[in-house]
Amino acid sequence: MSKPTLLLIDDEERILRSLRMLFFIGYDVRTTTDPDEAIRILREEKVHVIVSDQRMPVMQGSELLRIARETSPATMRILLTGYSDLDASIASVNEGEVFRYLMKPWNAEDVKKVVAEATAIAEASFALQINPEPPEAAGIKPRVLIMDNDESTAKTVHETLGDRCEIVWACDAQHAMEELAKQNVSVVVSDLMLGGSNVGYILKTIKQLNPQTQCIVVTSFSDTSRLIELINQAQITRFLPKPVSKGLLARNLESMLERFQLVRSQPVLQKRQTVEPISDPAERVSAGNFIGMLGRLRSRIGV
Amino acid sequence: MNNQNPADESIFSLVTPIDALSPDIRLEEVTKHFSDPRNAKLLSLPVVENGRPIGVISRYLFMNIYLKHYGRELYGKRPLREFINNTPLLVELNQPLAEAALHVAANMQFPLTEDFIVTRHGRYLGIGFVMDLLKAMEVKMRGNTAELEQAYTQLKSSQLALVQSEKMASLGQMVAGVAHEINTPLGYVQNNVAIGQELFSQVQIMIADYESLLDMLLDGGADEERITAQLLKVAATRNDANAQEMLGEMDGLMADSLYGIEQISGLVHDLKNFSRMDAAANDLANLNECIESALNIGRNVLKNKVEVVKDLAHLPDIMCAPSQLNQVFLNLFTNAAQAMEAQGKLYIKSWHDAAHIRISVTDTGKGMPAEVANKIFDPFFTTKPVGEGTGLGLAITQQIIQQHGGTISVESRIGEGSSFHISLPVARNGASAASGMEICAQDPERHT
Repeated sequence: MSKPTLLLIDDEERILRSLRMLFFIGYDVRTTTDPDEAIRILREEKVHVIVSDQRMPVMQGSELLRIARETSPATMRILLTGYSDLDASIASVNEGEVFRYLMKPWNAEDVKKVVAEATAIAEASFALQINPEPPEAAGIKPRVLIMDNDESTAKTVHETLGDRCEIVWACDAQHAMEELAKQNVSVVVSDLMLGGSNVGYILKTIKQLNPQTQCIVVTSFSDTSRLIELINQAQITRFLPKPVSKGLLARNLESMLERFQLVRSQPVLQKRQTVEPISDPAERVSAGNFIGMLGRLRSRIGV
Repeated sequence: MNNQNPADESIFSLVTPIDALSPDIRLEEVTKHFSDPRNAKLLSLPVVENGRPIGVISRYLFMNIYLKHYGRELYGKRPLREFINNTPLLVELNQPLAEAALHVAANMQFPLTEDFIVTRHGRYLGIGFVMDLLKAMEVKMRGNTAELEQAYTQLKSSQLALVQSEKMASLGQMVAGVAHEINTPLGYVQNNVAIGQELFSQVQIMIADYESLLDMLLDGGADEERITAQLLKVAATRNDANAQEMLGEMDGLMADSLYGIEQISGLVHDLKNFSRMDAAANDLANLNECIESALNIGRNVLKNKVEVVKDLAHLPDIMCAPSQLNQVFLNLFTNAAQAMEAQGKLYIKSWHDAAHIRISVTDTGKGMPAEVANKIFDPFFTTKPVGEGTGLGLAITQQIIQQHGGTISVESRIGEGSSFHISLPVARNGASAASGMEICAQDPERHT
C-alpha cells in the first residue's frame, strides 16, 4: 500500500525542510513555497492532508485552503501559523473550514498526532468519494437551537427556517442545556455570552456528543485565542462577527442546514469534524457537569 | 415666592426693599427722603409708576438742581417726573449674576451716582448697590478660577494617562509583531531539535550494536553464531535507507537551526536597539540608524505589502533622544502601511545642509483630503473607527519633533499618497537635547 500524501506550504523553506523530516517516515511528503504549485498538486494528485502557513506573499493560507476545499474536498485542511490575528482565524473558519488551527512554534508529537488523525479521516473520505451514497430523504424535522439574547438573530432564524424546522430560542445556559437534553439539534446559532455567562463549553460538548450538529457562532466578542479553541475543540463551521446582516446569516443558515443533512446521511463526514478534548480546566468542569445533567435528564425523559 | 435657582438667589440677596417715589410728588419732597437716616446709604431713589420703575433721582442730580441760583425756588414745586433720569440701571431678579454684572458695568456712569433697580417680571422689587454686585461677582469669579484650576489639573493628568496608554498601545503592537516574527524560526528550530533528539537515540542504539560486534570480534572466545547474528543486525541498520537519509539531512537541519537562532537573536537585538532601554535617554545618534531600527521593528507590518525604497545620504550624528525618534519613524511607517489598501511603495529619503537634517517619508497610499491633512497633528483627531486609535500618534510625533527643535509637516493628495517632511537642526544652541525631553512633562511654552 502506498504512503499517504502530505502537502506542506510555507514561504519559509526552513519550515518545509523541518516538517519534511518530521513526516519523513510514513508519508509521501510534498513541499512548496508557491501556493499556485500547491493548487496544481491538489488538482493532479491525491493529497490526504494539506498543512499551510497563513501569511504568504502571494496568497493567504485561508484563501489557499478555500481553493483546496473546492479542488479536493476529501483532503483534510490544517493551518499552521505564527501569527494569531483575528481576521485570519475568522477566514480560516468561514472560508478554509480548517480541521485544525495550529500555532508556531509547534510541539512535534502533537502535530504528528493531528496529521495522523487527519490522514485516517482523509482515507475514509476518499473511499466514500468512490462509492457515494445518495443522501436519504429527511425523515424528522430538523431542529434549530438559538443561544443568543439578541432578538434580531432569533427573528432571522424564524424568517429563514421557520417553515422547515422546529426552532427553539434559549436565553440562558440552563435553558439551552435542557433543550439539548431533550433531543439532538441540527444547527446551533450561538453567541459566546448567553444570559451573562460564557457558553463556549456547551458548544464544545455538543460537538463531542453529537458530531452532526453544525455550529454557527454570531458574536461581537473578538478574542483570537478563544476563536482558535472553538475551531479545534468545537469545530464551529461559521464565525460571524456582530452586527451580522440578515442576508449573511440567512445564507449561512441555509448552507449549514444543508451541511447537516449531508453529514447525517454520510457518517464518514462526521469524522471530518472530530474535535480535540477541551483544554481549559474550568471549561472541562462545566462540560462534565453538563454531561452529568444531560444523562440525568435524558434518563428521566426517556430519550 | 417662585422656585429659585442659585442665580436668582444671588441677585435676590443683593436687593434692598426701599419705598419708591411717585413721579407726581413735588421735587422739594425728595429732600425728606434723602435726609431720612434709613436712606443714608442710598445714592439714588427709585421712581415707580403703576408698579413699574420709570426712572431714578440721584442725590447728585438733585443737588445739582438745588445748587443753581434759585434752584429750589424755581423747581421745588414742579413734579419730580420732569427731573428724573428715565434710563435707570435695571436688573431682572432671575438674571444670572454674571449677566447682571456685565449689564451694570457696561451702562453705569462715572462718577457713580446711582444704584440699580431690581425688578421681577418688569415690576419694581427694590434697589441694589453696584459695589455689592461687583463684589459678589468677584467672589464668584474667584470660585470659578479655583474650579478651572482643578479642571486643568485633572485634564493634565488624564492627558498624561492617555499619552501613556498610546505609548503602551504602540509598544504592545510592536512587541506582538516581533513576537509573531520570532515564532517562525522558533518553529523550525524547536522541531529540528526534537527530530535530532529522536535521531540521536537511534544513533546511540546503532553505536551500541557496533560496539558489541567489535567486542565479540576482539574477544577470541565468542562463538560464530552470535557474531553472525550481530553482524546481520548491524548490516540491517546500515542498509536502512530512512536512517541513512535522515542522518544525511540532519546536517542541513542543524545548519538551519543555527540560522534560525541567528534570526531570533537578530530580532531580539532589533527590539533592544529600538527601545534603547540600556542606553542613555539622550545621546549622539545617527538618524539613518533610527530609520533602520524602526524598519526592522515594523518589518512584519510592511512585509508582503510595502516595498521600501530608501535613499539615505550620509548624515552627521546629532544629540537627540534616539528611542523617541525611533518611535516617530515607526509611527510614520506603520501609518503609511495602513494608508495602503493594496500593495504600495514607501520612499524614505534623508539629506542635510549645514544647519538642518531633512527626512521625507512618502507613501503611495490612498492620501487624504485637505481638511484631514490640516488636522492630522491635532490631539485626538483620528480617522480610524472608535476604539481603534487614540488619535494621539501623530500629536506625540509632532511633540517629539518640536522638542528636538524641529518641524514636521504633511502634504497629501487623494489617490496618490501622503508625504511627511521632517526637519531637525544639526546643532542645538545651549543645553542641547539633553534637557526637557520627557514627553508632555514639559511646559509647552518653553521651547523656542
